[in-house]
Parts: sequence; C-alpha cells; structure tokens
Amino acid sequence: MINSLIFNKDLITRYDTLGPRYTSYPTAVQFDESFGHDNFVEIARVTNEEPVPRQLSLYFHLPFCSTVCYYCACNKIVTKNRAHAAPYLKLLHEEITMQSNLFDHDRVVEQLHWGGGTPTFISHDQMRDLMAHTRSCFSLRDDDSGEYSIELDPREANAKTIALLHSLGFNRISLGVQDFDPDVQKAVNRIQTIEETLTVIKAARKHAFKSVHIDLIYGLPKQTVESFARTLQKIIDLGPDRISVFNYAHLPRRFKVQKQINKSDLPGASEKLNILQHVINYLTQEGYTYIGMDHFARPDDELAIAQKQGTLTRNFQGYSTHANCDIIGMGISAISKVGDCYSQNVYEIDDYEKALAAGRVPIFRGLKLDGDDLLRRDVITQLICHFSLDFEQIEARHRINFNDYFYNEISILKGMERDGLLSIDTEKIKVSPAGCLLVRNICAVFDKYLRQAQAEQTFSKTI
Amino acid sequence: MTSTHQIFDISKFKVSCGNCSLAELCLPWGLKLEDINELEKIIKRVRPLQRGDYLFHSGDKFQQVYAVRSGAIKAYRTTEEGNEQILGFYLPGELLGLDAIDTERHVCTTVALETSSFCAVPFNRLEELCQQIPGLQHQIYRLMSRELSSENQSLLLLGKKSAEEKIATFLVNLSSRLHVLGYSATEFRLPMSRQEIGNYLGLTVETVSRIFSRLQKDKLIVIDRKLIKIVNEPLIRSMCTGIKESSAKSQTAAGSQ
Repeated sequence: MINSLIFNKDLITRYDTLGPRYTSYPTAVQFDESFGHDNFVEIARVTNEEPVPRQLSLYFHLPFCSTVCYYCACNKIVTKNRAHAAPYLKLLHEEITMQSNLFDHDRVVEQLHWGGGTPTFISHDQMRDLMAHTRSCFSLRDDDSGEYSIELDPREANAKTIALLHSLGFNRISLGVQDFDPDVQKAVNRIQTIEETLTVIKAARKHAFKSVHIDLIYGLPKQTVESFARTLQKIIDLGPDRISVFNYAHLPRRFKVQKQINKSDLPGASEKLNILQHVINYLTQEGYTYIGMDHFARPDDELAIAQKQGTLTRNFQGYSTHANCDIIGMGISAISKVGDCYSQNVYEIDDYEKALAAGRVPIFRGLKLDGDDLLRRDVITQLICHFSLDFEQIEARHRINFNDYFYNEISILKGMERDGLLSIDTEKIKVSPAGCLLVRNICAVFDKYLRQAQAEQTFSKTI
Repeated sequence: MTSTHQIFDISKFKVSCGNCSLAELCLPWGLKLEDINELEKIIKRVRPLQRGDYLFHSGDKFQQVYAVRSGAIKAYRTTEEGNEQILGFYLPGELLGLDAIDTERHVCTTVALETSSFCAVPFNRLEELCQQIPGLQHQIYRLMSRELSSENQSLLLLGKKSAEEKIATFLVNLSSRLHVLGYSATEFRLPMSRQEIGNYLGLTVETVSRIFSRLQKDKLIVIDRKLIKIVNEPLIRSMCTGIKESSAKSQTAAGSQ
C-alpha cells in the first residue's frame, strides 16, 4: 500500500486528458441496447443458482432537486413542486417488487444506497414508505451491520431528518458541500451555510452513524488556492471520516446547465493543479489516507482498512468495501451489476412507466462481459484500488500468461515507467508516488475499447 | 467400414465409437474393433439439447438407451404432490434409460442442465447385437451394475450422512467423475443449481449454501460463483465417511467393481 503521494505538476500537465473514471469496466459507453429484459432475468436466475449466491447491494435513484447547481452532471429533475415525487415513487415501488421477485430471498442486502438528485427531496413519510416497502421485499439487515448510506443535501435536512434516517436503518451519510466560499457558492447557485452542515454532522454523530463523508469539488468558478484552503480548513474542523474532492469538468455542450457558469470565472489549468496540490498536502498532513482518484479517508475508516486488507473495490458510487455483492440499481438511469453483466435503466420517467406497466425490467442497455472484459476489469480494479498488480494472481485467476497476453500494453507501460509513473518488471506493476494521481491513465492502457476508439480517431485524422 | 470416398465425412467421424473419447466409459469398452464397427451401425445421433430441453419424459415408451456425449443431464420424478425429486445427474459417458427395461416405459424425466449431446441406441437392436457379441453383453451387465451400485451409494448418502458429509461426498463424487473424463479433479464448474443440489441431497437451499460457505471458510474449497476449486482434497475426502468407494461410479471403466 502507498500512503505517500507525490504531486508532480509537469507530469500531470503532460498526461492531462479527460478519461474514464472506471466506476465500471467496460464503461457505460459500451453497453448495448440489444441487452434487455430477458438477459437480465436470465442472469438473475444464474446468480441465484450459485452454491453461495452473492449478497446484494441495492441502489435507489431519487432524481429530484428543488434547486439546480450549475456544475451538476447528474441525471436529475429540478422542480419546486414536491408533488412530482409521489408518482415517481409509486413506479419505484413497482420496480422494487419486480426486482425482488427475481432474486432469492435468502440473499441478504449487505449494502444499500439512496442517491440522486437529492434523496431528501421526498417527504419523511415517503422515506418511511420507501424503506418499509424495500424491507418487505428484500432481506435487509436490522442489526446495523449492513452498510446503508444516503446522499444528503444539508440544506434539505436537519436533526430530525437524521433521527428518522437512523430509525430507518441508515448508518452512513454522504454530504454534498462542494465549497464554503460565498462567491463560489453564488457562482454555482448553491448557497449553503456551515451551520446547516454542522447540524447534520452533529446529529449523525449523536446517532452513531459509522461514517460521515463530505463531497467537495475543485475547479469551480471563483475558486483560488487561498479560498479553497479556507474551505478545507472548515471541513477538517467538521471532522468527516471520508472526503472526496472531485475535479470539475466544464462541458456545457453535454450538460446544458453548466452554461450558467461564466467560463472566465473558472480557475486556469495551472491554478486548478495548485488547488489540487494544496488539497493533497493539506489532507495528508491532517492525517487522512489517500485512497485513490479523488478519495481520502481517516486511517480507521472502513475504506482505508479495506485497502490495507486488499478487499477494496470500485463501483458506481466510487470506492467500496464490498467486492462480492451483486448490485441492483433501481429508479431511472440506475446501473446494475449482476453476475458477469452490467445493465442500465431508462433515463426518462415516461419510458420507465411504460416498461413497468408492461411487466418488464426497465433497462434499455447492458452488457455481458466476456473473458477478456473480466480479465481487464480485474486488472483495472487492482490498479485503481491498490496501485500495484501481481501478475501471478491475475494469471491464476484468468489462466493467461500476463507478459504474452499484454505484450502491447506492457510496451506502453514501459514508456510510462521512463516518465516515472510506475515501475514494471516481469512479475508486477507498482504505481509510483508520482503516478498515483495518474492511475486513470495507467488503467486506460488496459482499456481495450478506449484504445480501439483512439486508433479509429487517429486513423480518420491521418486519412 | 471401407470407403472409396476421399472426402472426410465429419458426421461419420462424430458418431464413430472407435474415435470417441468416451469409449472406455461407454458401451464399446473391451470390444474388438470389428465388434465396435457393428455397434456403430446401430447407433443414432440425436439432436443436441439446449438447457431446459427434455430428452424423455416419465411414461414415454422405452425404445432406446442414451449415452451422454457432452453436457450434463438431470433425471427426476414428480411426486404425487407434484414436487420434483431429483434422482441423479448424468455426465458424459454415462447411460440413461436402463431403468426402463423392466416396464418398457421410462420411469423418470430427463432434462438438460446445459447444452448437451447424445448417442441413442435402439434397445431391441442392442439386444440382438449382444447375442452376437458376448463382450457387449458383459459390458451392459457392468454398466447396469454400475447403476445399481450408484443407487446404493445414493441411499447411503441420503440415509446416513450429516449435511456436511453429504455435500463433501457430492463434491468428491463429481470430482472423480470429471477426472475420469479427463477434466481437472480439483477445479470444476457445477452444472446444477444449489436448489437442485439441495433437492437431490434432501437439504434445504439455505443449508446447501451454509455448508458450502463453511467449507470455504475452513479452506477446503474456494468458490467463485459456480466454479469450485478443491484446495484440501485429503481433508474433504476424509469427510466422506461411510462410503469410501464413493467414486466407484466413475471408476467402472478401470474395473473397480
């Protein structure tokens, strides 16, 4: 395990590309619309038949937000009208029932997550109903040993909300903060006081929540090293167990709401990297362990422990401690990972309703991984979670000769070795402290589809 | 089978007992080459089955015995309450239908657990051929004896063993049968579901999973979905107390009976 991390600005600038975050491999771009209801039902059956079926991880997508944050790239529905939630929740209940009929009931729900949007957009009664229905359909843990988490907007929650969530079985919270600086908050249309955040965290501590996670974003308009340093200091005072510091990617053509952001307010590339450098120095100095990508955690947090034990994995919410769950994503746009398959639900509520009315799992695309996909996923997961790769383990699991199979990849990695990102010999790859921040680029070498796409692009450019 | 054709006939090749890798487990075992040629003449290929396809149903008129060429089959009977009771699982080289000679009707239903292929042998032709080829007659006796012995093993398995012993015996038995087929004895994919294992062994699904989990926790096996790796073979064999010859079914060809 690496706890040391070197910020090398030259290297980062040179390797600066927008690449996949590998919350899945293959990435969602590869999902195919020919994968449908029947494929999903079949793979659910296959997993039920395993001698020891995997435990379940349930994800619920609650897409509503009462205000819009200008940086947001999530699939969400912005509305002040709370009445919009009820018909959606009715459909979500239907999907929960349908999904629960596909999975054996002795498969315990080890992980559960409400994401959004803003899950706390819905009323307390709606929260109670949703959890009660989930409990009636699936085998949830009732002894606080499951990992049940929710994304919270502190502006939409208070001590009462936390008490309710605790009584419903939640024991982990993830808080959106992004930045405490008033100018930045104004520029992204998210005004949120420290007091609101503190109230929620205090309540969570009182109810013995096991992990408090705070999301921050760097690269937002009006941000400077100094302003973000002040935010970080305030965050440290709040004492979260985990901190994510995401990189804001300004793509107004893809995410229309980002047009509200004045491009000239954005920090330049160099300033952005200085912010990142400060984040890394400051958080590690404050005793946080660098987990990888954009995640930091206290050394006693389960994420840091999982990394030490070699059991860390990556899923759609980022890093995760449970490698062995089958994931069922419910609600619009939610992604499932069951058996050797990925699948994704439809984006629009209308389509969602139609599929459910027809008695079909509301997915519109998916993918069954072949042996090569599974092998590459294993390699990428190892690298992104543990910063090292032991060829022998991969060879034993996938019955290949690593050096032969990845002959081309290894020659690219040798170039990265010369640049100081990693060391590679005939038995292992070890990411260097300077390469940690570029682990995505290292993973991308093993991404067959990305390399195919790049080859096609190069081809069309040269012609 | 002298032929003047120079063209390689793949369908002939496939059906040829002489070339079959399962010959040593199946009807041709111990036969002279010319006898095998006679046997080949009466063997018919049948359409491969997909998962869930039936080979024959209980009550169907018995006309032929089937030899499994590839895949895996389960045989079951439906109880008076309408429940399925699994009688056994059949792997390549094993014969199906011998239990119907007496009643001339099949007494169980057989269904493919995965894509499977078969050779069919019309029973009246086989009987005729047996009169000409004493070695064939003897091999059929041996195969039937293997079935009887296997039935005895099942009774012992169901009657005397703890859940843990049942699962261990089940795995060792499967491992031995696969080994005889030339596959790894220590790493294999279960063709059947945990529900079917439970049904066959008289255990609840939850118990099946609990025992598999325990075997994994105790480092006797490693499980990755349906893939089983036996990592402590001596220990898992020692758990199969009571019927040491549990692998007998698979070792018929080697003459263990």
